[in-house]
Amino acid sequence: MKRVILSLFAGILILILQTTLLSYSPVQRIRPDILLIFTLYLAFLFPPIFGGILAFLLGYLMDLFSGNTLGFYTVSRPLVFLAAQFFRERFYLEGFFFQSLFAFLFSLLEGIFIFILMNAVQPLPLRNLYPLFFTSLLPQSFFTGLATPLLFFVFQKGSSLLFRQPERGAKEIGYRP
Amino acid sequence: MRVRDFFVFRGYHLFVLIILLLLLGFVLMSLRAKERKGVEFFDALLMEVCSPVQKASTLVIKTVQETFQRYVFLVNLQKENRMLKQKISELQAGNHRMEEIRLANERLKQLLQFRGENSLSMIGAEVIGQDPSSWFKSVTVDKGERDGVKKGMAVISPVGVIGQILKTAPHYASVLLITDYNSAVDSIVQRTRAKAIVEGKGENRCELKYLLRTEEVAVGDAVVTSGLGGNFPKGLMVGEVKRVDKKGHGVFQYADLAPSVDMTQLEEVFIIVGPLPPSPHQEEKVKKGKKGKK
Repeated sequence: MKRVILSLFAGILILILQTTLLSYSPVQRIRPDILLIFTLYLAFLFPPIFGGILAFLLGYLMDLFSGNTLGFYTVSRPLVFLAAQFFRERFYLEGFFFQSLFAFLFSLLEGIFIFILMNAVQPLPLRNLYPLFFTSLLPQSFFTGLATPLLFFVFQKGSSLLFRQPERGAKEIGYRP
Repeated sequence: MRVRDFFVFRGYHLFVLIILLLLLGFVLMSLRAKERKGVEFFDALLMEVCSPVQKASTLVIKTVQETFQRYVFLVNLQKENRMLKQKISELQAGNHRMEEIRLANERLKQLLQFRGENSLSMIGAEVIGQDPSSWFKSVTVDKGERDGVKKGMAVISPVGVIGQILKTAPHYASVLLITDYNSAVDSIVQRTRAKAIVEGKGENRCELKYLLRTEEVAVGDAVVTSGLGGNFPKGLMVGEVKRVDKKGHGVFQYADLAPSVDMTQLEEVFIIVGPLPPSPHQEEKVKKGKKGKK
């Protein structure tokens, strides 16, 4: 339980960093989604139930601080977590390239999922948002992917300090059913 | 007793969890769409808990940034530049207001409305956080319900319109920027008085929609608020037309608009908390009502 509460606080701190420090970047579109990287990391650290609830809460907080009035991230983040849990056993996730690709694909797929949700609830077609695929989503996903290996390393260090567990690679960490 | 023992269908606990979380997410989405008080209260509570940390974080970042800018790099140039920029903003705002008054006089509009525009009751607020997502455009400010801020209130700067209040907590509020795809502001082209709706396009861009094809619009035209939406007073600068698209056929033409305010550099904003001067539409209604009584 202590692990869940500490991870939730860490998630809140990461969200605040994302809304403050990262917004000072001169080019907004290269701001990586570090909360998504954290959610992916949680998939290696937690069993599905606790991790799913944690991802749900982090999605809820993300919605709270965004201009998103309905709460799309509350739906998408638990799905991202559970999908990452599903794939972590099936793919080789060590090394810079694979971790980057893993995060890049998840960021892109989550963006597409949110876009589909937005289109589903909006009565008018969202023609305005199509260019954002190339100008915003793709660059952000790319930089999220680039930042992932470094942040996975930082999260590993952090969790080994907090939970006093020996440092292990992304593949070996956490729950095994 | 372990947590998983609570599940009746132990073998299907993951499946049950996925269904439950998705269901909860969609229920929350539905409650938010209906604007239920319970969800709004919970949102406000969480915002109230998290925003002080956000404010402190912004303060630390700003302090470090300012120290570097003022003392390490350039001592006085930064200050002077800011003063000059502020002066330009003030002059620009004054210029637009003057233009509005001149045009209104030409068409024999009442001066009282413009006096009303200048006596708006506003409070200053500091931007303490930006939107964490890439799809949506909003900022968090350090003024809330206790300061008289309510949902839907207009948020402006000396340069022009910024957005409107989206969510409120006792001491904090979230502002939906005009660049967000959910935002729509009733506006007019200042030169030709053509009516249109300014919709957000993300990435510091907007689009002028529902602009009749017969109306004349050119690159460089200023677009101001019409005062018809009920949230914004008339004559506030929204942006400048950057591209006009006639699209070959149809009733409407479209135009790309660059907002007058740089939404990526927001630091301080004004929230209009007082009552707005009556819009021309409301005035007409009042006049008709009076005639009817006579």
